[in-house]
This record gives sequence, C-alpha cells and structure tokens, in this order.
Amino acid sequence: MSSDFKELQSKWESTKKNSELSTTNFDDLYKKIKIKEKENVFFYYSTIIILLVTLIVISIFFYYVAPVKEMLSRIGAGLMILGLVFRIVIEIRSIHKAKQINILETTLKTADNAIKFHQFRKTIHQVIAPIIIGLYTIGFYMITPEFSLYMKFWNVVLIDISYVVIGLILFFIIRKGVKKEMQKLTDIVKLKNEITD
Amino acid sequence: MRNSKNEAFETIYRQHHPMVLQMCLGFVRGDKDTASDLSQEIFISVWNNLDKFRGASSYKTWIYRITVNTCLHYVKKDKKVRRLSSSEIENQTSIIDTEKTINDNIPKLYNAIGQLKRIDRLLIMMVLENQDYDSIAEVIGINPVNVRVKIHRIKKRLEKILKNNKDE
Repeated sequence: MSSDFKELQSKWESTKKNSELSTTNFDDLYKKIKIKEKENVFFYYSTIIILLVTLIVISIFFYYVAPVKEMLSRIGAGLMILGLVFRIVIEIRSIHKAKQINILETTLKTADNAIKFHQFRKTIHQVIAPIIIGLYTIGFYMITPEFSLYMKFWNVVLIDISYVVIGLILFFIIRKGVKKEMQKLTDIVKLKNEITD
Repeated sequence: MRNSKNEAFETIYRQHHPMVLQMCLGFVRGDKDTASDLSQEIFISVWNNLDKFRGASSYKTWIYRITVNTCLHYVKKDKKVRRLSSSEIENQTSIIDTEKTINDNIPKLYNAIGQLKRIDRLLIMMVLENQDYDSIAEVIGINPVNVRVKIHRIKKRLEKILKNNKDE
C-alpha cells in the first residue's frame, strides 16, 4: 500500500504542476467578486424587501384607501399586519443564523452551525409559517363581511376563492421548502456522523 | 490601482490556486466546470475573509478550511441557458482558458477518489498534498489520533477501489 500510495502522490503532484496558471486575469476575477457580492445581498435581503413592501402597501391600503370601521374588521386588519411583521422578524433572525455558518471555522463546527440553521429553517416551515398564514387568513376573512357591504357579492366571492387558490399554492411551496430543508438537514447530519465516526 | 489587499490576494491566489482547483477536481470526480465554479467560490470567500485572517494558523491551513467547508456545503447551480453578451463571453473565456491547462492524464485518480465518501475525499487529498495529521486535525476539528485512524481506513478503501478499477 505504501508504495502504491507514493505512486499516487507523485501522480497527484505531477498533475498539479501541469495545472499551474500561466496568466490570470484578476480584473475579471474582481468583477466576478463584485457580482457575487451583489447576489449575496439580494439573496439575503430580497425576501425582507418583498415582505416590507407588502407590509407598507397593506398598511397604506387599510389607512388611506379602505379604512375599516367595524371592530371585527380592525382586528382582522391588525392580524394580517401582525402576521407580516412576525414574518419579517423571523426572516431577520434567519439571516442572523445563516451568517453564523462561518466557513473559517473547523469542518465539524461549520457542520454543527449548519445543522442549527437548517433545524431553525425546518421549524419555520413546519410551525411558524403555518401560524403566520393562519393569522393572515383569519384576519382576511374577518374583514370580508365589512367589505361585502361596499362590494358586489360576486366580487367578494371571487376574492374569497382567489385567496383559497393562493393558500393552496402557498401550501405546496411550504411543503417543497420543508422537503428541501429536511434533505439538507439529513445530508449535514450524515456528514457530521462521517466526520466523528 | 492595486492596494495591499489586492496584492495579498493575488499572491495567495497564485500560490494556492493549483492546489485548490485540484482538490475541487478530486471532489467532483474530475468535472471541470463544477470544479471551476467551486474554486471560484473558494477564492471569493478568500477575498471576502482576507481581513479576518489573524495568522493563528498558516495561510495554507486557512485556505484548506475554506476549501473543505465550501466543497462540503456546495450546491451545484442549475445552468440556465441564456445569451451572453460579447464582453461576458470574453470574460468567461479568459477564466476558462486557465482551467483548460489541467492535465487530463489521470481522470482515473479523480474517479477513484470520487468513489469515497465526501469527507474522505477531502481528507485523502490533504494527505496527497503532504499535510501532516496535526494540520488536518486543525482543519477538520477532530483529534489527530482520529485523523490517523481515518486516513488508514481511507487508504485501504482507496487501494480496494483502485484494484477493482484495474481489474475492470
């Protein structure tokens, strides 16, 4: 084995020598780094921006466009806004956890941090997201009676049906997210076991 | 204008790129495109974390940590087919050209390494890179004695794979 391994090692070395760079265009590399930095910012903050815009639009809608008067509707609007605020807080917490996966740490520590992050994401998908959607849905249907006073019956029915459709789409998106998170979690737990085995 | 960060980065890149690229090739069974993507990710991380390097370990150990962690947590991107602009094509070509100098003589070696578990591939490649057990332990975060035991097992497994490949 020892001589075989030495042979392997010399092959390894010779290949590496052949792959040495003649020239590297660092300007291109720096451009790619800049693009990657932008992508990272987008990756981390795009969801928060979308949620914030939704929150602002809904708040403006209930304050200026359609200020609801009945207590039931006000509670409903409050639940919808609260659900969104809660979702934004969770997303910020998620980014904080993601940033704790530090690739400068040892492989074992990085795997541990990645496990914690994906367990957190799993909890979001399985517990927190359904609660938020539930709050939002309850809030939405609490507003419907007051809206039906000002809108045609069929318009209200159409809005209610479209909400169910959106709900179904969200259900499948969440289910996909849970599956993806579970797969990642299983992979990293397996990796950790392989490291410590 | 080049500043000291650029200079330090370019020196590290020139010194360690062949090692990083070869480890990536070994990790992805010789898939050049993926290895190129991976090595690029690694050097982007090197650039982003360069200010955090405190000299507690050597640059080499530091880069090994980034390389091993990036490889293990790398998710292959879906290649979206889209039309590239001429400047993009030029940029892509100049980077890919440097990768094309890789010798194709021993894909069997990458293939054999690729048949090991993910963490084992990286461990054996660090041994092939002449890293001692203590520095490997520093990268992985386990005891050097455990590293020794693992490497012994991996060498045996690799020997078996190479023997099987020869027989085929």
